[in-house]
Amino acid sequence: MNHLKRKEVAFFGKITAGITHEMKNVLAIIQESSGLMEDILDITENGTFPHKDKFIKSLDRIRGQIQRGIDITSRLNRFAHSPDHCPASLDLNEITQQMVLLASRFARLKNVVLESSPSDPPLVIKSDPVSLEMALFESIEILLNIIGSGGKIKLVPRKIQNKCVLGIGYENTVIPEEDFMTKISSTERWASLQEIMAYLGGTAKVFGLAPEILLYLPESIDN
Amino acid sequence: MDRMKILLVDDEHEFVTTLAERLELRNMNVSIAMDGEAALGLVENDPPQIVVLDVMMPGLSGLEVLEKIKAIDSKIQVILLTGHGATKDGIRGMQLGAFDYLIKPIDIDELIEKLNEAMKSMA
Repeated sequence: MNHLKRKEVAFFGKITAGITHEMKNVLAIIQESSGLMEDILDITENGTFPHKDKFIKSLDRIRGQIQRGIDITSRLNRFAHSPDHCPASLDLNEITQQMVLLASRFARLKNVVLESSPSDPPLVIKSDPVSLEMALFESIEILLNIIGSGGKIKLVPRKIQNKCVLGIGYENTVIPEEDFMTKISSTERWASLQEIMAYLGGTAKVFGLAPEILLYLPESIDN
Repeated sequence: MDRMKILLVDDEHEFVTTLAERLELRNMNVSIAMDGEAALGLVENDPPQIVVLDVMMPGLSGLEVLEKIKAIDSKIQVILLTGHGATKDGIRGMQLGAFDYLIKPIDIDELIEKLNEAMKSMA
């Protein structure tokens, strides 16, 4: 990534992170205000507050949505901080879990479930966090574009022949490797993924039958 | 039993006033300040037992206020409020003498638990 691009990404990250803090403040105020309403209902004698049960149910719904808002803004905040350090030590379990949360909406629109399966022990590499997240997202999008509705995409960090690999695989179907390669090569995103992987000092390969994109990553981007 | 004396410091007016009301409903004696300078004035003139202090504030930062509170009276316990992704501020605060830190938005039960723990530590 050139210097100007890096500055652009850092700029977007900084502004987004600042806004997520503001959003959290809004959520905190809503949380305390609905909490205060609950407190008041708690100390109100039974029978003196009409429709108390309905109010409690409504406050429960508000509480659920506040928690949802907190989860979403936390994810966005973590993502916005991705460009803070580059290269950075990255736990591949953490980055796949993060990407599952960030990309789940895109998968849900295709009725696809997104999951990660952590490696034990965790694999830690030194890499560019933003580009690695882009590579993962591109891989998910490629699979979402070539598979039909339904099924499951699983992100699996692991070692293959002593190399760190991120597998992005689609379950519930069988595709011969040649067919899978043909389908993937016809997407513009495959070329984009190859470009990102070259920058990261790695390669993207495919594996058919249980269709899977394998991202081979160096232990350190410096190498 | 004496009421717990708390000072809430946060620049978000709606947040700090609502939280104060909730703590008062739980029989606590709560005062509020919207910035570090006002908080230090209250600590000097009407010292609380515990300060609940936001880290990110305009003017004096929460960590600067913490250092000044500890210089005025090291026995006052301070619980910091940090944003998500800012846990390093919480850890730094504990190195500076904070009792603990919580991540905003906070859970009222968790805050009360921390306040009780802070009170016990002062006994």
